[in-house]
Amino acid sequence: MTVQEPMPGKHDCGADAAAYVLGALEPEEAQAFSRHLDTCVVCRDEVATFQHTANALAMTPPQHRAPRGLKRRVIRAVRESDAETKAQAAPARRSRWGGSGLFAARPAIAALGALAVVVVVIGAIVVSSNGSNGTRTIAAAVTGSPGTAQLSVSGGHGQLVLRNFPQPTAGHIYEMWELRSGAKAPAPTGTLFSVNSSGAGNVGVPGGLHGISKVLVTQEPAGGSLTPTTTPVIVASLD
Amino acid sequence: MHPALSVFRTNRRNRQSDIRVLADEELMQLVRAGDARAFEVVFDRHSGAAFSLAYRMCGRQAMAEDVVQEAFVSMWRSGAHYDATRGSVRTWVLSVVRNRTIDAFRRESAKGGRDVFEEGIAERMPAPELTDTEVERRDEARQVRKALVELPPDQRQVIELAYFGGFTHSQIADMLELPSGTVKGRMRLGLTKMRLALGDSPEVMV
Repeated sequence: MTVQEPMPGKHDCGADAAAYVLGALEPEEAQAFSRHLDTCVVCRDEVATFQHTANALAMTPPQHRAPRGLKRRVIRAVRESDAETKAQAAPARRSRWGGSGLFAARPAIAALGALAVVVVVIGAIVVSSNGSNGTRTIAAAVTGSPGTAQLSVSGGHGQLVLRNFPQPTAGHIYEMWELRSGAKAPAPTGTLFSVNSSGAGNVGVPGGLHGISKVLVTQEPAGGSLTPTTTPVIVASLD
Repeated sequence: MHPALSVFRTNRRNRQSDIRVLADEELMQLVRAGDARAFEVVFDRHSGAAFSLAYRMCGRQAMAEDVVQEAFVSMWRSGAHYDATRGSVRTWVLSVVRNRTIDAFRRESAKGGRDVFEEGIAERMPAPELTDTEVERRDEARQVRKALVELPPDQRQVIELAYFGGFTHSQIADMLELPSGTVKGRMRLGLTKMRLALGDSPEVMV
């Protein structure tokens, strides 16, 4: 079968489908095409068929074994993440790093984890006690949710405090973005998060707030996105 | 060793071996509930493919390891959000790894040295450890690789730059000094040909 070049000048709304599944559209184009998919069954079909092929590309590289030590690094990072989350937001998820094999809790790591929790808790107390001395609280605009969000700013760093927020919908997660002064589009902070069963969450803004005019949160597909694909549910303005 | 402790350890070993027979989707339900051992099994099953993809994209082992670590930590945090109706666990894992790699490219602007994968400082996965499922995946991956390699070079080039390089069609157009429409057209033709080449095969199980 011969595959024909698209006819020049002919309306062809599926022309972007391949670039879309390859992640090669510009951010604004990707958002526009994503909205277009809501109304165009032809493009939805084309994306669905291309998506299988694009997914399969991920398995074409030569296959290697994951390096020794990577597993241990990942588990250590996950444990630290759990300890941090517990200290910050009393998460609903109960981690059970009971462990066997490489995952067995080693006394030194367990001690370090406990120390980390103590340090984070002490840090939280100190920040709280500084409330009248250099800590600024900014009420963030919340859209589409009964919850509240505040950005607590202290020492050039920010902490987003959420209350009564709904869990992200199935297959999605909250993602934090930062808008730099003068920038047209927000940049990812690399922070993905959820809230606990009470709808609460405390999430630090990575790095400092210098040069940032807004901190935003959108709901994105699990794993996060490179650019926002939905309207922000939280906008905290620092201006 | 105290007999009770011995029984406890035996039960724990049995539980771990029970978990290993579960399907990925069942494991993800346990991960959602915070089961670290299920997460360990998911890591064991998919870390090789995850690292291989990251290594192909980054071309540097240290960066690939960082990306895979970041990806799995985010998966642990967001495990409750895996949606089985949108694809297999492996597809989900690899899409998270790819997104994280592209994030890393943007953070570090590390656009060089990504084509050294054949020189392999990483260890090849030895065949005797392959499960039946993994053998099937390898066969299908071989078909996809063949379909990619058999594309006309100009179509293969734009697909690889986009998928593994994380470049947009505009960036590729600048690099190759082509109109953007031509780049998008080649992507479409290339994917269409690959789809047709794979058309008689069962749906690729990534």
